Amino acid sequence: MSVGMEKRGYAIKIMKNKVYELLKMGKRIDERALDQLREIKISTRVVDKADGSALVSLGKTKILTGIKVEIGSPYSDRPSEGVFTVNAELLPLASKTFEAGPPDERAIELSRIVDRCIRESRAIDVEKLVLIEGQKVYMVYIDCYVLDYDGNYFDAAVLSAVAALMTCTLPVYRVVDGRVEPVGERMKLPLRTIPVSITMALIKDKIIVDPIPTEEEIADTLVTIGYDSEGVLSAIQKSSPGLLPVGIFKEMVKMGLVKSSEVRTKLEEAVGRGG
Amino acid sequence: MSKPKLIDENGLRVDGRRPDELRPIKMEVGVLEKTDGSAYIEVGGTRIYAGVIGPREVHPKHLELPDRGVLNCRYHMASFSVDERKPLGMTRREIELSKILREALETVVLLEEFPRMMVDIFVEVIQADGGTRTAGITAASLALADAGIPMTDIISATAVGKVEGTLVLDINEFEDKYGEADMPVAVAPQLNSIVLLQLNGRMTVEEVERGLEMAQAAIKKIREIQVDALKRRYRVEPEGLEA
Amino acid sequence: MLYFNENDLVIPGQLLADNGRRSGYGTYTRDGKLYASTTGLVRVVNDVVRIIPLSGRYKPQRGDRVVGIVSDVKPNVVEVDISGELTAVIKPPERETTPLKIDIGDCVYAEVKSVGIRGTMLSIEGLQKIPSGILVKMNPAKIPRLIGRKGSMVQMLRKESGCDFWVGRNGLVVVSGPDPGSEFAAVSAINLIEREAHVPGLTEKVINLLRRLRGGTVE
Repeated sequence: MSVGMEKRGYAIKIMKNKVYELLKMGKRIDERALDQLREIKISTRVVDKADGSALVSLGKTKILTGIKVEIGSPYSDRPSEGVFTVNAELLPLASKTFEAGPPDERAIELSRIVDRCIRESRAIDVEKLVLIEGQKVYMVYIDCYVLDYDGNYFDAAVLSAVAALMTCTLPVYRVVDGRVEPVGERMKLPLRTIPVSITMALIKDKIIVDPIPTEEEIADTLVTIGYDSEGVLSAIQKSSPGLLPVGIFKEMVKMGLVKSSEVRTKLEEAVGRGG
Repeated sequence: MSKPKLIDENGLRVDGRRPDELRPIKMEVGVLEKTDGSAYIEVGGTRIYAGVIGPREVHPKHLELPDRGVLNCRYHMASFSVDERKPLGMTRREIELSKILREALETVVLLEEFPRMMVDIFVEVIQADGGTRTAGITAASLALADAGIPMTDIISATAVGKVEGTLVLDINEFEDKYGEADMPVAVAPQLNSIVLLQLNGRMTVEEVERGLEMAQAAIKKIREIQVDALKRRYRVEPEGLEA
Repeated sequence: MLYFNENDLVIPGQLLADNGRRSGYGTYTRDGKLYASTTGLVRVVNDVVRIIPLSGRYKPQRGDRVVGIVSDVKPNVVEVDISGELTAVIKPPERETTPLKIDIGDCVYAEVKSVGIRGTMLSIEGLQKIPSGILVKMNPAKIPRLIGRKGSMVQMLRKESGCDFWVGRNGLVVVSGPDPGSEFAAVSAINLIEREAHVPGLTEKVINLLRRLRGGTVE
């Protein structure tokens, strides 16, 4: 089925040449336009035991994110803010190149990019996650699992994490004599913006959006940019070696902005439909 | 907190089942793109993906065996699959279950047919609602069959529990938590043999025997669902394959 | 006695026969009875019961033509990834003065010379380096359908798409055509064949697809 092969440390020459040849004509190896993302599918509330969850596919890349909410102590230097953490795992069944064991540098980079897109855009209203200042706050654990890897796990992970956040609910507590007790109701997780990332590859002098592995492995460089709902950047990651000319990067920022708003519309529609 | 009632006056369980009734089961084969074989299973609230990669070259090389293949198995739960968030990394429980599942699968896989190679089996629990090891091995068998790995049989499994003195089939998490015993059973039905058996709790000799009989009867039904899932995956018109 | 009809889908552990049948690929015997060990279609050929697998990795057989990617070039051996269980090798003849002009990442088309416990050896005679094209991966079990009866399907594909096809038994296929439109059309046709290998009237469907897709391209 797929024209992409597993990342193998060396590119398949005929595929590399074909990608170059097609790009010269403004075409891609899977027939997409240069700035076209693959099909996005989002299903939310897929894990009942999680407080929020979403299964997202971007083409054949598939990522499941689940969120668990607990009560814990705030960081001492931020007594009036709730806490959240992002973790990402590249499950070994997602690709022959992923190995079981503690997260490697790729998995850690992925979780930190997702974290930055959410944290720096101030998407989660952490001030509203405080129960008793300095003592008890909501702790939000966002865990992303890559189930199928067919390129660009960055954008798929951000999408699934944000979709899970959009459906996440928290148990409501009241404070009685300095202790918290559940009221038996739930409230929506307070979100201020919808962060979306767009990953672009530079191949020769062409910028393409949402690369598949065949493109990733021959790309001169890869750049992921996170944008909030206002179009403000909240994360940039140049995630592979190779030169990134300044002019190309400026183009990417603009292209990513347009694409991110397209993706955000799709995300809002999908989660809205999910209820 | 007082112990909740697990069997009501009509003899029904907390989820309304009769003692010998299985939860709804759904299975699908060939659900992942990048594995050589895969399956998805739902048993009540339990949801699991199983994926198989191989046979392929052994890594690290020194584990290679000249006369037979190597089977690896990893049973792993997503952090959000359980009520209390599971810490990242492998817990002692996951390491034990990985070993138990691997040994069960080794009894049916014809290892001598792939010397100097290895097969990896990954069981990923997305949601745990009791019976994850039995649902996991049931799905892993389907994934192995989907990967074309030669086997003497397809393993099917369920658990028998004891709640308020009554033997019940396919216990859910709640019954496991408050009940008296949990006995997961996996069998190779065609070989009429047990390949996985554990007991966690107290049961009399007679209860163990009766529990095994209940499990065997249920496993016939589970087997049918497995066969159906495989046939749906490979519905093939014979003329379709003529060379 | 046989417990199946020719071409039945069988699964591991299924009883196939209880006397005197010889055990072929994908079967095993226990206590004098014959069982399936692999999922697939069961057939009897010359009294041997064997299973045609429908999934799983490619298992090389002598004489198969395969497409592979050169993964390493060592002094005495060239390693080729054929998407099988083990990497295949090509051994250039000794005292060869002109070394094989192949390099890592090259796509080659070759015949399986031998299969053994030491791995798969590809033949150097008739070895071709595929100059260009799009590499497509499909389920090796469906390659016979892509080839068709006596090559009828692939001949039709060549004619209708205008592309060259290198069809590897291992599930790797390269298509190379005069323009991107015809190559994309050929890739779509391969995907259709993989998806609907079991559907009767497939040839017609493929022809229609190719004519529709090719109608849109400028000749």
